[in-house]
This record gives sequence, structure tokens and C-alpha cells, in this order.
Amino acid sequence: MDDIGFLPSFPLVAGNTMLVGAILLCGLAAGQVFVRVFRLPRITGFVAAGLLLGPGVLGILDQSILGDLSIFVDISLGLILFELGRRLDFRWLTHDRWLLASSVAESLLSFLFVYGTLRLFDIAPIYAGTAAAIAMATSPAVVIMIVHDQRAKGPLTERLLALTALNNVFAFLLIALLFGFVHLEYRANWPRTLLHPLYLIVGSAGLGFVAFIVARTLGRWLGKREDLQFGMLLGVIVGTVGCAISFKLSVLLALLAFGVFVKNLDRMHDVTAVEFGPSGQFFMVMLFVITGAGLRPAELAAAGAVGAAFVLTRMAGKLAGIGLFAPLSGITRRKAMLLGTGMVPMSAIAVVMVQGASALYPEFGAGLSSIVLSAVVILELVGPLATQWALRRAGEAEPLPRGNA
Amino acid sequence: MTLEFSHSDDFTMGVELELMILSTHDWNLIRGAGDLLALIEKEKHAGDIKPEITESMIEISTGVHTDYREMLVELTAIRDTVVGNARRLNLAIAGGGAHPFQHWSEQRIFPKERFFHLHEMYGYLAKQFTVFGQHIHVGASSGDDAIYLLHMMSRYIPHFIALSASSPFFQGMDTAFDSSRLNNINAFPLSGTMPFVADWSEFNGYFDTMRDLKVVESMKDFYWDIRPKPEFGTIEIRVCDTPLTIEKAAALAAYAQALARHLMLDRPRKPTLDVYRVYSFNRFTACRYGLEAGFIDAGSRTRRTLKEDILETLPLLVPHAQALGSVDALEVIRRSVDSGVNDASWLRAERASGQTLNDVVRRQSHLWFAGEAAVAEASAK
Repeated sequence: MDDIGFLPSFPLVAGNTMLVGAILLCGLAAGQVFVRVFRLPRITGFVAAGLLLGPGVLGILDQSILGDLSIFVDISLGLILFELGRRLDFRWLTHDRWLLASSVAESLLSFLFVYGTLRLFDIAPIYAGTAAAIAMATSPAVVIMIVHDQRAKGPLTERLLALTALNNVFAFLLIALLFGFVHLEYRANWPRTLLHPLYLIVGSAGLGFVAFIVARTLGRWLGKREDLQFGMLLGVIVGTVGCAISFKLSVLLALLAFGVFVKNLDRMHDVTAVEFGPSGQFFMVMLFVITGAGLRPAELAAAGAVGAAFVLTRMAGKLAGIGLFAPLSGITRRKAMLLGTGMVPMSAIAVVMVQGASALYPEFGAGLSSIVLSAVVILELVGPLATQWALRRAGEAEPLPRGNA
Repeated sequence: MTLEFSHSDDFTMGVELELMILSTHDWNLIRGAGDLLALIEKEKHAGDIKPEITESMIEISTGVHTDYREMLVELTAIRDTVVGNARRLNLAIAGGGAHPFQHWSEQRIFPKERFFHLHEMYGYLAKQFTVFGQHIHVGASSGDDAIYLLHMMSRYIPHFIALSASSPFFQGMDTAFDSSRLNNINAFPLSGTMPFVADWSEFNGYFDTMRDLKVVESMKDFYWDIRPKPEFGTIEIRVCDTPLTIEKAAALAAYAQALARHLMLDRPRKPTLDVYRVYSFNRFTACRYGLEAGFIDAGSRTRRTLKEDILETLPLLVPHAQALGSVDALEVIRRSVDSGVNDASWLRAERASGQTLNDVVRRQSHLWFAGEAAVAEASAK
């Protein structure tokens, strides 16, 4: 028998590499089916493929595999947040003060509306507050991906990206502060209550700054060669993601801050504009399939009315905030409504943050998940469609090639 | 039906400038004309601000001026209006004859009947027409004067090309031309020069024939380098790239104005067909080599560089500039010729200093906002 020891033994063990290949192919195929058959965004197809393969339905991707693959999620999010950060131009905020006002308004209104609604459902203030803070953030991944997919360009696209960056920052700051209350709720001591939010905010922003200094120094040394800087930035981004995880800081804030610093502090423009383009595609497919696998369709039924109310009041908050203030920035009311619609996708990244709290207080995490996750399921599927629709109606998406969706 | 030539006061002038609308993220062209114009329309502003054929372009034009300084004041006000509103939308504005790395196929036609018609008629040429020029109008008191002035001015067309040239890069490449933009215009069937007609009635005969043959519907269909504009009572010089600064744009208009005064009052020569025999050659070398181009003077049948020809022309214009109050403008022209630096060489120098084309556009946009002072400062470094 030893003679055939070179043959694999059965049943075959599917290694992770094999799985990654399978995920990519399934994701791409589902994406194409959604585009061609249902005329829906590719991303919705990626998420649906994940949902199908995940523990919720077929169970091919189980929890431990998803854990192993989380590195792809981290890298993808790093790329996305960095790119989003680069779209937040402080000079724009000074030239158009209504931009910041409309961002504060839509963030605040979506927070208040969702908080009020959840309180009506008798959900405890600390849960309602954290869930409402999560509701503030628009999904950077969906917005960036749809903008790329539609090759959208124009003033509305720019505004959408800037507002997305801003509401993610607001959501993050608020959630970090609420962590303090969570600590209080569980009778942690005072230093812990104060220091945890402080550590998260200052530490993450500081890490972003260090990443910026490293990138600028390397960029200056390499020169303005796009090919070289591409590799350099990828390295710094992935390294920063890793540091954020090791230091128990926020990947979201650190990478967003890195992008913002590059955009606003790189006075000599040593870091060149790099498009992650086709190679970024790989990470995006992985990200959305894995996100889909993390969704629990069962949650949808369980949460029912709360989930639906959450989604609707959040949308009302965004539309009201943008609708009231964006016209003061000089855009038409119609475009303001499209802009508000474009901001519907909800960030699953916020959920990741909440998992930080769950690690400390499992009971709190579980309570929160049951409220938020149903909304995440709905918005992961509907959100991309909303953004795509808004960009097309605004006339900023690439016109469709004939005979193709 | 004959074309009526409206009377203009002698030596009045006005300019139109086509400008780039840019994304401040990657400095590519961006489809922002609709939003920008909507914002601008809400306020009272100087000059006229209009859409152009694709959505990444905007056109500004001044009123009628005799005084160069007043024109510069109006241009400054228009620029500030456009730049101020663009900033509110996080857009940037820049001069320059062509965007260095945009791809023509990504451009979209501005939704207006005439533009759709042009796109239908010219196909990809219409989108390739996403290039940016300065048009200079000079007033003439009658149609006959306009025809005379136009023929006489043709000799000097290479001056305007070389002095304004600011489109060395096109579709991501260095074209080796100082003005690559004019190559795009050559492809249109009615480009080139006006026929050698003797006066306004002969021009009308030519125009009627072309209209009867259904080659053209109106004067707008002629894409000549200089054409009469009977409604305004002007001749319109159309070869200039949009310069990188309004100071340069105003100086070029004042140069045309002083030249017109010299040609009308001093009557140095009679119009001859010889100028048109060497016209294409002179025009090509000016596009290709800028101020260093070879120039054939049809009158004296000699060859010299364009630089030399401009330096010989300037003294003839000084008394006229003194009368018109535009001596400073001629100084701007002289400085450029003396130093041999036009906008094209400025752009190339930026690129050569290790900047990417995106950086070049960013600096170009900064220059448009900051003006000539920034150029002087940059070249002093």
C-alpha cells in the first residue's frame, strides 16, 4: 500500500486556497447572473452568493473558515477606507460650510429617528443608542464599489463620497463614546470608562498619522512612479490594518485617518494618486461574499417589525437631513433627494466595531446584534441598488453599453 | 439674402475662453458643467458664462472693451465667480489648450440641441473637440474693413499660435507640438482659411453660393482660423489655445487690438494671396515648434524665426499701444518672447521636474487661480 502514498487520501480536504478560488468564482458568477438576469448590481450578487454558501443556508463556509478568511476582509476594508479618506478634502469643507452642516444634519437626524423608534419598541437606551450610532454610517464598501462599477464621476459622486467619509467618522466617535456608557452599565471602574474611548480615538488617529508619515517618506524616496507607489501603498495599508488589529484599535478610523492625512497634509504631493482598479476587484469580491456569508437570513424573520422600522426611519433621517441642508450648498432639491438615496447602504463595518464590545461584554453584543443585524441583512441587499439608482438618475454613471445591463 | 455687417467702433475687443472643469481628486476632466452653471446662474455676475460641447467644459466671455485694463478687471471678476462657485462643488478650473491625459471617449455631450446635432454630424470628432481655445474679437466699422483686416491679420496668425500655445500633452502623451489642439480642428471639413475675397459684397457672394449648395446654414458652420462675425461687427481670431492665466489672455487680445490699429491706420501693405500660399506651412511650424518655429515672410520672401518676427513687430505696435493704453500688455508679450517661455514650455518643464501629469494639471489649475504673479514667482525659483 505504501506504493501509492503519493496519491491524495479521500475524502479530499478542501484547503483554504481552494476555497478562495471557489469563492471568487461563485461570487463572480452570481454577480453576472444578477446583472444579466435580474438587472441588479453585481455587489448584490456577491452578497447573495455569500448568503447561500454561508452557515445560514448551505453551510459550506462555516464559522471557522470565515475566521480564517477574515484577513481578506481586513485588507479589502483597508483599501476602501483609505480611498474614502482621500476623498475628504478639508478645503472643500471651508469653501462650502453647508457641506459639513448637511453631514451633521443627516447624521444627527438618522441617529435621533432611529433612537426614537427603538425606544418606542421598548429597547433599553444603551442598546438603542449604540444601534442608532451604527445607523449613522453609510457603507464605504458599497458606495466605493458602486462608484467604481458604474464609473461614476461628477459633483454628486464627490459629495456622496465626502458625506460617507464624514458620517463614518461621526458614527465612530459616537460609538467610541458610547463604549464608555457600556462600561458604566456593566459597572466598570471610572478609568476604564474614560480611557477606552480615548485610547480608541487618539490611538487610531495616531496610527493613521504614523502610516501617513511612513507613506510620505517612502513616496518621496521612490519618486512619482505609479507602479512603485502602488506596491508601497498596498504594503502600508495592509501593515496599518495589522497594527490596528494588534493594538486593539479601530481599523476603520486608522485607515480613514490615513487617507484623510494623505489628502490634506501631503503638501508636496509625494504620494501619487493610485487607482487600485482591477487588482482591487479580487478583494472586493472576497469582501462582499464573506459579508454575505456572515448574514443570518433567520434574523430577518425574527426581527421583523423592529428591523423594518429601523431601516425606514434611518432612511427618513438621511433624506430629511440632506433634503434640508444640501440645497443650501447649491444643489437642486432633486439632486439632494438622489444624494440621500445614495447614502442608504448601511455599514457592516460598524457591526465589526460592536463586536469589540461583544468581546468584553458578550451579553451586550448579543443584545445589540439582534437589533442591528436584521437591518444589515436588508440594507446589504437593497443598499447597492439604491446607490446605483441614485448615481444613474443623477446622470453621473457611465451610460450603459447597448444591449447590456 | 445678404449678411449685414453690424458696425463696431474701431479697435474694440472682446474675448471668449473655453475652460476645463476638473476633479480635485485625480485632476481628470469631470462632468460638472450642469451643476456649476446652475450655481452660477443664481448670482449676478460679470461677463457671460455658458456651456460648451462636452460636460467638462465651460465658456466665459467678456463684454466689449477698448481699454485693456478694464478688460482684465472684468476677466478677473468672471474668473473669481467661476472659481468661487467651482470650489463650493469641490471642482477645479484651469486654462490650457488641451487636457493632458483625459480620454476623448469618456467625454459626454452637453444636453443641448445644437451639440447633439454636431455630435450626430461629426461623430467622434465632436468628442475629440474637448479642447480649449481663446477667441479674440476685434471690431471693424464696416464689412469691407473687416475683410481687409482679416486678410492682413492672416500673416500674424502664427504669432498668436506660438504665444498662446498650451497643449503639448494630449491623451497622456507628449505630442512634440506646442499646440496640439489645432490638429484636432484641422479634421473638420470647413476648417482652414476664408477664401481670398476682395470685399464684403464678394464675401456675400461666396457665402450665398455655399448656402445655396447646402454646404453651410450659417456663419457658425465655418471653422476658419479667422472669420468675420457680422452680427458683432468683428473679426474673430480662433487659433489661440486658452492660456494658463487670464493675464496672458488679456495680453493676447491687446496684442491683436494694437496690431489691428497698426494695420488699419498705417496700411503697411496690400492684402496678397502670397500670405495664403505660405500660410499652412507657417501655421504648422508655429504649432509644432512654438516661438522657435521657422517663419516665411511672404512680403520680403525671407525666412526667420517666429521669435524674430514678433520682436520686429513689437516696435511697430508701441505707438498704437500707447494710444490704446496697453503698453503693459505688450510687455507681457515681450517678456514671453525674450525668455522663450510660452505656456507649453512651462507645462513641459513641470512634467520634466518629475511631476506626474495629474500634478501638472493641479499646478495648471493653481496657476489659473493665482495668475501671472505665480508664474513670475515660479520662474524666479
